[in-house]
Amino acid sequence: MTSEQQRRVRDLFEAALDRDPASAASWVRAAAVDDAAVAEDVVSLLAHHARAGAFLSNPIVERAPDLLVDDPPLRDGTVVGSYTIVRELGRGGMGRVYLAKDDRLGRTVALKALAPDAIDDASQRERLRREARAAAVLTHPGICTVYALEEIDGELFMATEFVDGHTLRDEIDRGPATADQVRRTAEDLAAALASAHAHGIVHRDLKPENIMRSREGRLKILDFGLARLVEPSDAAAGPLRVTHTGVIVGTPAYMAPEQLRRETVDARADVFAFGVVMYEYACGVHPLRAREATAIPGAIGHVIGRCMREVPADRFASAAEVLVALRASDATHSARWWRMHQLVVSVLYLAGAVLAWQLKEWRETPISVALFLGLSAAATIGAVLRGHLIFTERMNRARLDHERRRMTRAMRFVDVAVTTMLAADGVLIAGVRALGAVGAFSLAVGVLLAAVVLEPATTAAVFGDER
Amino acid sequence: MADRESLAVSAIAPEVYNELRRVAAAYMRRERPGQTLQATALVHEAYLRLADAGTPWHDKRHFVGIAARSMRQILVERARARGAHKRWAALDRVTLSDTLAVAAHEDAMLPALDDAISRLEQADAELARIVELRFFAGLSIEETADALGSSPATIKRRWALARAWLHRDLSGE
Repeated sequence: MTSEQQRRVRDLFEAALDRDPASAASWVRAAAVDDAAVAEDVVSLLAHHARAGAFLSNPIVERAPDLLVDDPPLRDGTVVGSYTIVRELGRGGMGRVYLAKDDRLGRTVALKALAPDAIDDASQRERLRREARAAAVLTHPGICTVYALEEIDGELFMATEFVDGHTLRDEIDRGPATADQVRRTAEDLAAALASAHAHGIVHRDLKPENIMRSREGRLKILDFGLARLVEPSDAAAGPLRVTHTGVIVGTPAYMAPEQLRRETVDARADVFAFGVVMYEYACGVHPLRAREATAIPGAIGHVIGRCMREVPADRFASAAEVLVALRASDATHSARWWRMHQLVVSVLYLAGAVLAWQLKEWRETPISVALFLGLSAAATIGAVLRGHLIFTERMNRARLDHERRRMTRAMRFVDVAVTTMLAADGVLIAGVRALGAVGAFSLAVGVLLAAVVLEPATTAAVFGDER
Repeated sequence: MADRESLAVSAIAPEVYNELRRVAAAYMRRERPGQTLQATALVHEAYLRLADAGTPWHDKRHFVGIAARSMRQILVERARARGAHKRWAALDRVTLSDTLAVAAHEDAMLPALDDAISRLEQADAELARIVELRFFAGLSIEETADALGSSPATIKRRWALARAWLHRDLSGE
C-alpha cells in the first residue's frame, strides 16, 4: 500500500468513527469505490475497532512493579544450581529470599534472588561481586555472614547465613523494651556495626526490618553493603570509598539528613540510623512520630540522642565511638569505680584518725588531743556518709541522685575539716617527728585531691553529671 | 523533525533508560503490597533528576517522548527475559481475540505487541508514538496531545486507529 493510500485509509477511518457503526462499512465502500484495497482495509480496521474492548486501555506502566521486580517465586523443591529451595522466606528490597539447602555442604542458607533491574550490565555485575566480596569479609557474630554470590542461568543469587528468629520490627511492635533490653541491644548492635565500620563498610540501610534476633537471642544485622549495590556504578570508586550519586537508596524514615540530600555518606549515616532504631526500640515509637519529645531516660539516652544529631560532625564518628560511649554510660559497669572511690576515701579518713592518735602519743598536748578527737569524729562521719551512699547505690538506686545531692555539702565539710586538721597536726609534730609530719601532710593532700579532682570526675563519668 | 527526534532518542535514550529503571527500582523498594506505579510521577521524577544533571533537554515535552520510548524498551525487555513470548505463543488462537479484548495476559503480549508497534511505525510513525505515550507512559489523551503538539480530538481519533490497527495485527488477520 502506498503512503497516499495509507493517508486515505487514515482519513476514511477517522471520518467513519463519527458515523453510525451499522452503516459505517457501506459508507466507506461508497466513499472509496475507486480503490477496493483501501475500502476493505478501512472496513476491517473498523471491525477491529468495534471488537477491541479494553485492548491497550490500561497503561502497562501501572503494572511495572510486577514486571520489573516481582519474578514469580521459585517453587519448593526447585533446584537452583547446587541449592534446593526449601521455602520462600519473604520479599526484600532486592528480590525474593528463600530458605535453601546448599547440597554441596549440606548446610541451610538464605538464598536471595537479586532483582535483575539492578544488575543488568556487566559493570554492575562486577560491582556486585566486589561488594559481595567486601561484605564477605565481615565475620562478626552480629552480622549475617555472606557465603557466596552465585550466577545461575544468568540470574544472580546471594547465599547468606540463615538466621532463624524474628526482626527487631516484631519486637518494636510488641511495645517498648525494658531499660536492660535497650542497653544490651544497643551494645550488641553498636559492636556489630563497629566491626563493619572498621572494615570501611557502611550499611546505609539500617532499620528494624533488617536487624534480626535469632532464637538463641543473638542480634544479627542483615543485608550489609547491599544498599550500595543498587546505586549507579562508579568506576573510580574502590570498594571502600563511599560515594553517593544515585537515587535514594534506603528507607527514608531511618536515613540521615545528608543521605536524604544525596550527599556523600559515611559511617555517621549508620550512626544516625542506629540512633533512630534504638530510639524506636526504647520508646516503641519512631522519633518523628513521637507526640511529645520523649527522652530515653539515663545516660544511654544522651548517647542515642547524640547519634541522631542533624549535622554529621555532631554525631559519633563511627559505631566504635558509640560503643565506647555506651559502655561508659553503663552505670552498673562504671559504678564499681565510683564505689571504690568512696571506699578508698573512707580508708583515708580512718588512716588520718589513726595517724592523729599516733601523733598524740608522740606529743600529747591539748591541741593534739583535740585534733585526734576531731579527726576521729570527722572520719567516722565521713565514712558513714560514704557508706550510706554505697548502700543506696547497691540497694536503692532510684534514690541515689537524691541522696547524693543531700550529702554533698556534709561531705565537702568533712573533707575540708579532715584536710585542715591533718595539716595542723603536721605543723604541730614537725619539730618532733619529721616523718610523722610528712605523713600527715601527704594524707591531707591526698584527701584534698580526692575531694577536689577525683570525685567530680568519677561522679560525672558514672552518673553523667554536667558539672 | 522525526529525524532529529530519533537522533536524540538514540543519543540519550540509554541515560533515560537507566534513570527510569533506577527510579522504578527505587519505587519498588518503597512499595507497599498492591501499590501501583504512578507513571506520570515516575516520568516526572526521572525528568527532574536528569534535568538537574544538566542533560540537554529541550523541554519536558521532548523528554516525555523519549521516556515513553524507554519505558517501552524496559518493559518489553523484562517481559522477554521472563519468557513472555513463549507464554504468548502457547495461548489458544481461538480465544486470542477475547484475550486481547479483555486485556488479559498483557505482559505476555508485550514482545508481540512490540513487534506489532514496530510494523505500525513503518506504516505511520505518529501512531506508534501515540501508543508509546498512552500505553507505555500512561499519558492521558490531553497529555499526549500536548506532547505531540496536536489537538485532543485528533489524538483521540488517531489512538482509535492505532488500537484497531494493532488489534488486527495481533489477531493475526
